[in-house]
Amino acid sequence: MDLISPIYIIAVSLGTGFFMGMPGKNLQRISFYLLMAVLLFNTAVSLQWLYALANQLTGPMQVFTAGFQPPFSINLLMGLNEAVITSMVNIAGLLGAVYMYSVLKKIGTGGQVVYLILLISLNVIVLSRDIFNIFVFLEVGSIATAGLIIFQKGIKAVSAGFKYMLASGVIAGLLLIGIIFIYRFTGSLNIDTIIQENPVFKQGALISVFLILISVILELKPFPANGWALDVYQASHPGFSAILSSVIGTANLYVLYKFSGLASETLFYYLSLIGLVTFVGSNLLGMNQDNARRLLGYSSVGQIGLLVAVLGLIPQANSNFKIIFFGLLISHYFAKAGLFWISGIVKKSGLKSWSALRKKPVLLFLFISFILALTGFPPFPSFFGKWQLVLELSAQGNIAAIIAILVGSFFEVVYLLRWAGYAIKLEPVSTLKIKWVKLIPVLLFGVGLYGAGYFVSQAIPYGNTINFIPLAIVAVLLLLDFLPAYIKNIISISATAWFAYLLFPDAGTLKIIFIVIFLVGGILTLIPGFYMKGKREGFYPSAMLMFGGLAQLIEAENLLQFFFAWEIMTIGSYFLIIRGKKSMIHAFSYMLFSVGGAYLILLAFGLVSMGNTGIGLELLSQIKYYPGIAMALLAVGFMTKTASLGLHIWLPGAHGEAESDVSPMVSAILLKAGVFGLILIMLAAGGEQNNYQWLFYTLGWIGALTALVGNLGAIFQEDAKRLLAYSSIGQLGYILFAFSMMSHMGWLTGFTYTINHFMFKAILFLAIGAIVLKLKTHNMYEMGGLIKKMPFSFIAVLIGIITLAGIPPLSGFGGKWLFYNAVILKGWYFQGAIVFFAGTIAFLYCFKLIYSIFLGQLKDNHRNVTEVSFWFLLPQYILIIGVMVFSARPDIILKPLGATLSNIFPAEQLTWNGTTALSKLGYWDATTIFMVIGIMFVILFGWLWFMSRKAQPVKQFNMVYSAERPERPELTHLSHNIYAGYNKALGFLVAPGITAFWSYATNFFESAGNFIRRIYSGNGQSYAIHVVIYTVVVFIIYLSTI
Amino acid sequence: MEFTVSKILWTLLGLFIVLNWGLIMSGIMRKIVARVGKRYGIPLYQPYIDLIKNYAIRSQITHGVMFYLGPVFRLSGGVGIFLFLPLIFGSEHWSNFSFSGDLVLILYFQFFGMLGMALGAGEGGHPNSAIGISRGLSQFTTIEVPMTLAVISLAIQYNTLSIAEIVAAQQGGIANWTMLTNPFATAAAMLSLLGAFGHSPFNLVKAPNEIPIGPPTEYHATFLGVLRTNAAILHVVEAALFMNLFFGGATNWFELILKTFLIYFWSVFVGVVFPRFRIEQSVRWFLKIPLALGIIAIIVMI
Amino acid sequence: MAIEIISLITSFVLMLIGLYGLLSDKNIIKIIVGFSLFDTGTHILIVTIGYLKGKTAPILDNAVGLTDVSQKIVDPIPQALVLTAIVIGLAVTALMLAYALKMYQAKKSLNIGDYKTLKW
Repeated sequence: MDLISPIYIIAVSLGTGFFMGMPGKNLQRISFYLLMAVLLFNTAVSLQWLYALANQLTGPMQVFTAGFQPPFSINLLMGLNEAVITSMVNIAGLLGAVYMYSVLKKIGTGGQVVYLILLISLNVIVLSRDIFNIFVFLEVGSIATAGLIIFQKGIKAVSAGFKYMLASGVIAGLLLIGIIFIYRFTGSLNIDTIIQENPVFKQGALISVFLILISVILELKPFPANGWALDVYQASHPGFSAILSSVIGTANLYVLYKFSGLASETLFYYLSLIGLVTFVGSNLLGMNQDNARRLLGYSSVGQIGLLVAVLGLIPQANSNFKIIFFGLLISHYFAKAGLFWISGIVKKSGLKSWSALRKKPVLLFLFISFILALTGFPPFPSFFGKWQLVLELSAQGNIAAIIAILVGSFFEVVYLLRWAGYAIKLEPVSTLKIKWVKLIPVLLFGVGLYGAGYFVSQAIPYGNTINFIPLAIVAVLLLLDFLPAYIKNIISISATAWFAYLLFPDAGTLKIIFIVIFLVGGILTLIPGFYMKGKREGFYPSAMLMFGGLAQLIEAENLLQFFFAWEIMTIGSYFLIIRGKKSMIHAFSYMLFSVGGAYLILLAFGLVSMGNTGIGLELLSQIKYYPGIAMALLAVGFMTKTASLGLHIWLPGAHGEAESDVSPMVSAILLKAGVFGLILIMLAAGGEQNNYQWLFYTLGWIGALTALVGNLGAIFQEDAKRLLAYSSIGQLGYILFAFSMMSHMGWLTGFTYTINHFMFKAILFLAIGAIVLKLKTHNMYEMGGLIKKMPFSFIAVLIGIITLAGIPPLSGFGGKWLFYNAVILKGWYFQGAIVFFAGTIAFLYCFKLIYSIFLGQLKDNHRNVTEVSFWFLLPQYILIIGVMVFSARPDIILKPLGATLSNIFPAEQLTWNGTTALSKLGYWDATTIFMVIGIMFVILFGWLWFMSRKAQPVKQFNMVYSAERPERPELTHLSHNIYAGYNKALGFLVAPGITAFWSYATNFFESAGNFIRRIYSGNGQSYAIHVVIYTVVVFIIYLSTI
Repeated sequence: MEFTVSKILWTLLGLFIVLNWGLIMSGIMRKIVARVGKRYGIPLYQPYIDLIKNYAIRSQITHGVMFYLGPVFRLSGGVGIFLFLPLIFGSEHWSNFSFSGDLVLILYFQFFGMLGMALGAGEGGHPNSAIGISRGLSQFTTIEVPMTLAVISLAIQYNTLSIAEIVAAQQGGIANWTMLTNPFATAAAMLSLLGAFGHSPFNLVKAPNEIPIGPPTEYHATFLGVLRTNAAILHVVEAALFMNLFFGGATNWFELILKTFLIYFWSVFVGVVFPRFRIEQSVRWFLKIPLALGIIAIIVMI
Repeated sequence: MAIEIISLITSFVLMLIGLYGLLSDKNIIKIIVGFSLFDTGTHILIVTIGYLKGKTAPILDNAVGLTDVSQKIVDPIPQALVLTAIVIGLAVTALMLAYALKMYQAKKSLNIGDYKTLKW
């Protein structure tokens, strides 16, 4: 195959550059198009190489200039790596020029030539194998950079540029000294020859290697010697910042990659240390930024730091090195360029002004995609890169590095998602005018990002096991987002039903329960969507992302599938939750806990894979290293989703402020994902005689205390949805407690609670949500007397709370009965007693909920309200049928469930005699109870009906009121602070200590970041001093270890 | 077990006996309270008169469907506990429908009536009803704590939750009664009983000195009659529950009447001696000594 | 003292003086001068590295002749390198001065401490 030699990239560019520099008005007019033509040519050359090399149509090509062999000539190498990097460089260069069309036009030929020179220099440093040549073009690149910085008018850009020149001058000096000494010791300037000489082991040559590596590292802006770079990111033209971050960073990184062959093992160790310090440090400081471009600068520096760490941590011989390195690099490349470009469209620098994106759905979508790519969510390449990185590091046993990476990533998530929240939620203050030349590059990079994600997923081990069909459905819904809501709702419901149909046949009893909860529940909670008017932009893709994730969670067979599904579900739920009017901050805190939990899970998966082959889920039961820690991490990770004590503070806001039909989704369904995870690890732990007794004992206590605190919290709420949200915390506490017992009865209890909570919480949240939607208030004390206006809602809520409270004959009692037996059989008396106490507290909020809303006095402004929408009532009544069936015939579910569980927990089973359940301690015949109570109730009702048949209905205020009538309903509707006495007695138990703890932790990191970032004093000279000190310090530390 | 006609008739007979004993007993107690207060008091048959009067009143008002259903729930609660509780040990006729559930069922079925009453009173729309309910529920949460611990202690002791089996284990003389074999559980439960029966010092819920009174404020006529009927039944069956759990049960009606009287009398006795607690005081009170007794009861049994 | 030692010392002294000036002087012009000195120091270092005692410049003319070239001349590569390095140093210095001019035009100050609008 005949390919254009890479040397032509340089030759043609240089030629055109000189030609463009010639005088002549006509030339000036066409010079921009000349530039574009060259860039296009360069791109084409590198892409054809990429194509040829990737498909192995040709081998790598060495170019020797001037016909000499090195060291007497400069030689270039075009291999697969170079083809990838130069393609990245040239594509971004081309699109960057498109983006900067107006600037480049205005600034004239001179500026265009400088831009071209920058790109030549980048191509050369990637291709060249000559160390001095690389130095020269690094310098050319620096000079071009300094020239491009002042594309942006104003003193900020000028002073930033000067700081940049000072620092890069010092760095260049160091590099030059290093190069000359390496030449002195090896007699060559060719990297490959030098590496063969192994200069690290030569006396005296070590310092030269050190100088070369440290100066390349310094070019990559290591924390904290990087103040000069941050200013440049902030002050330059955004088009140029994009190039600086994604392209120059990439090329320089590749230089380090080439030079890394020089390094010894110790040096690799320091490389990884430098990278990790940079990643963690700059992301810590990034949290304090409120200027978008500076924030992107911090993020850029951090990402490059991570890549440096990868270079240091993963041996290049490792078969997965490339996929990790390029997976992370390419995410950074697309996302950072895209974000900087968008920053140029938004123009205003404050993070909050990015809400302007809200009115441009395409741009907002791209923005969010880039943010998610940076934070390492699926399906972006960084997700797979980080996943594989963690696995490799685990295989090395390098847990400390994993922790550092996860901590750094977490900091990054904090500020990036906060920013995303602003863009999604805040009221736009300005409108954007988008020029198509600025939009095209962003759009193409967005497409590239998704494409790269798919490509990388197929390249990593087991990546091909991931099912992308749910994502495809989400994509279809995104494309159809312009359609009215009901059409999208029909599509979503059909898709969910189809998932369920696909999953159902080969699922065991345990999985069927979760299929019903996740997917049938999904369908039921989607039904109210028919009530919603308009398009509901973004709702259906998010919902399907969540349900798709949940479905994949069930079908996951290996750790990667599971984690992928977990993250997909998390993002989907985040976008659902943030849709609520006041949800920005709550969705953010939900996301922080979720991401933190996900990272713990990831770390644990790393531990699980250590010393094992493959990544099948069955490995959970054969953990070789630190099994206790791995299990505990997984448990905590899943407990962020079940909102257990200590990790629960996000829930009330997130569930309470969500939209009316979202609350039931996230409360009744999503929380069960955490339960699913917990069950997974408990199954893996083995039956009763497992090795993790201490863990489950602790979980039991946590569950009990969660139940207490959740329920106590609920009774003091005035907001109906928050009350239900706190109640969810409590209920999930019961569930955690029940499963932690790790016994036959305990698990039956857990499943009964899970099923019940799914049904009654969906009923309650649907009912309350519909009412809130109708009355436009969450406050219960503003409601009252609605029983006469909304009788169907009242009945639904009544059945909901009877089930919740565990009052016979409804199915809640089944849970309580099993609970008593399980607790006594297990011997967890005191924890059990706490849970029972919590159960009685539940009455207080159940009463408050139903009384304040439906009973008492009807308010004047609600005299004309009518029953809620049919679309909200329909799923409620379907669920009520479910409750009734489960109440009257619990054996339908519990018998097969018990049979399944007997394989895991053979001891102390529940036996059945007809409809009577027999435990070792007692008995319970739900069917008879249901009948006895039903018959008795009907008889007594008939009797009273007969006795009071002549009772006169009276008006609202006609009551025993000292012969007066109350003036206003508010005067006699007791609701606000109804449990004041209780608060006086036990309110201290719900003092917000945990919230205080988390805000203390947050403040600690923020002020630490604030303190540290003061080293970036703004003085260019200080930055140069940082560079020098950094070099010296690293050198001293390095010397001390050799 | 089957729902035969004779079974139902026996059950109705039992209900009739319990109702009458309940009415008489409440008459006796009111008399005792009056005498302690140096008053003459009511005639013993006064509860009958009240009941007949209430059922006979012809002018009635209703605040709505739930208001109507409240007393039905309440009475179902009382009758239900009666139905699910074995009254006389060894008698198939007087064990009612206790084959359908054990002690846990009884504990939770108490809530059935409470909830219905609370909702019915809630629809009455009177603030005093809501205040009474909120207090009642608040107090109830901590009353249940020592009771739960005592029940757990019993379950450990007898290794069963079936009331019939617990009674069976106590047969053969007073030495086998739980009262003596498990004194801490008995003590905890008997303190909890004070709250459950709602006499002073735990009677802020109904606050009988104020008019109108607590949850039943708006209830009158047949509604009030139903509530009174329930109160009579409930006092007997709840006392019978304690009798079964702690005092050896009863092998005949006489024993049942005597024991339930004494158990009920315990709460009246305390009531006439001690003044009323405020709600936060009573909530806390059950979390002190009764709670400690309950914990000891379990520790002793482990 | 041998010439290579002298030039080695000179180069390091120059670099250190330059670096010191660059890092400590507040005046932008003086900083640039410091940079220039530092740069010059490195250039001398490069030449010194390539120097071989008693050999002549690597220019192939009659004086050197075409036989035994490698025995007669110093290492030509550092000499080639230093030329490039000087050119680059020149370009950087020129650009720095251009920046200094722009900065002065904007704020009428040559004190580097006055250009701290961007920080943290």
